[in-house]
Amino acid sequence: MILNRCAHEAEVAQWLARGGWPAACPAELRAHVSACRSCGDLVLVTESFQRARTDAASAAQISTPSALWWRAQLRRRYAAVERIGKPLLGAHIFALLISLLVGLGLLAAHAQQCLAWLVGLKQLPQAGAVYFENIWSSALLDPIWSPMVLIPAVATLALLGGAVVYLAMDKQ
Amino acid sequence: MQGESVLPKVLAGDATRVATPPMDSDAFTGFYERSARPLWAYLARVSGDRTLADDLMQESYVRFLCAAWAETHNGEGEVAARRYLFRIATNLLRDHWRRPRQASIEELPEEFFAASANSSQADSQAELSPALALMRPRERQLLWLAHAEGYSHREIAEITGLASASIRILLFRARRKIASLLREQAARPGRKS
Repeated sequence: MILNRCAHEAEVAQWLARGGWPAACPAELRAHVSACRSCGDLVLVTESFQRARTDAASAAQISTPSALWWRAQLRRRYAAVERIGKPLLGAHIFALLISLLVGLGLLAAHAQQCLAWLVGLKQLPQAGAVYFENIWSSALLDPIWSPMVLIPAVATLALLGGAVVYLAMDKQ
Repeated sequence: MQGESVLPKVLAGDATRVATPPMDSDAFTGFYERSARPLWAYLARVSGDRTLADDLMQESYVRFLCAAWAETHNGEGEVAARRYLFRIATNLLRDHWRRPRQASIEELPEEFFAASANSSQADSQAELSPALALMRPRERQLLWLAHAEGYSHREIAEITGLASASIRILLFRARRKIASLLREQAARPGRKS
């Protein structure tokens, strides 16, 4: 698009901005504006918008600034608390992942015993009550249930449960 | 929040930062009194909706006070602060226009804005409102910032996020368009000039 800017446009814009148009500006410039399309557009549009601005500004019903001020302070505080909460959330997720890994590791380490126990459970209906008593007694004597295994397992469950409860409470 | 008890020192430090905002209440009151009416006029005229202008003006000031800009540019003076405020308002307007139809600001039909502009025709600006209603929202923004607020092309570019060279062309085109509309309107019988 060809911009047909007039050389006098900047001068006219200055007079309009200063508020000296048309009374204070030279007669030659007024004569030029009446003949120049570009400068005429500038004057027409600027005067219309300046009048619209004055009228709209006087029609504005603005509220008190104190409410906005406190609203902004509250929002800043919430944003600050949220910023601090982000690393904490990361720590929660990390703790949960570690707990899960420990739990899975424990499960993997004793997978064979678990499978044997599951097979035993499947055969339980056929074997009857006597067989169940045998399993129960053997399970109690099995080294898998020794305190060395039982205590870390309970500790893992407690940690996992604690993390889950903590996360749930935090979300509430 | 439970984190507050976990990290009291960190929070206390942050609370101190929150308690000492970049612009104090008195300074903000002065700034608000000087800038609120021009900002409202801009929002009301460009959107054609007074209620929306009220909402966006409040949101603009809250965002202005919350912005990190206020901390780093506090020494740049009121002119820069006002320009930044207009930038926030311009972004809010753009977001508002994009939201209902999920369309670009340039793709929205002029009738969409003309319809909402009717509500503001009751005031003394009957001469400008009909012509303004026929302009695209981007053109309204540019025209208002240039001719009502008196911003330079560089300042308008900063406010709108457009390139300075684009502003020059878009503004020239918009000015020519609205001048023709104003002349047509003035030439129509029964219209005041």
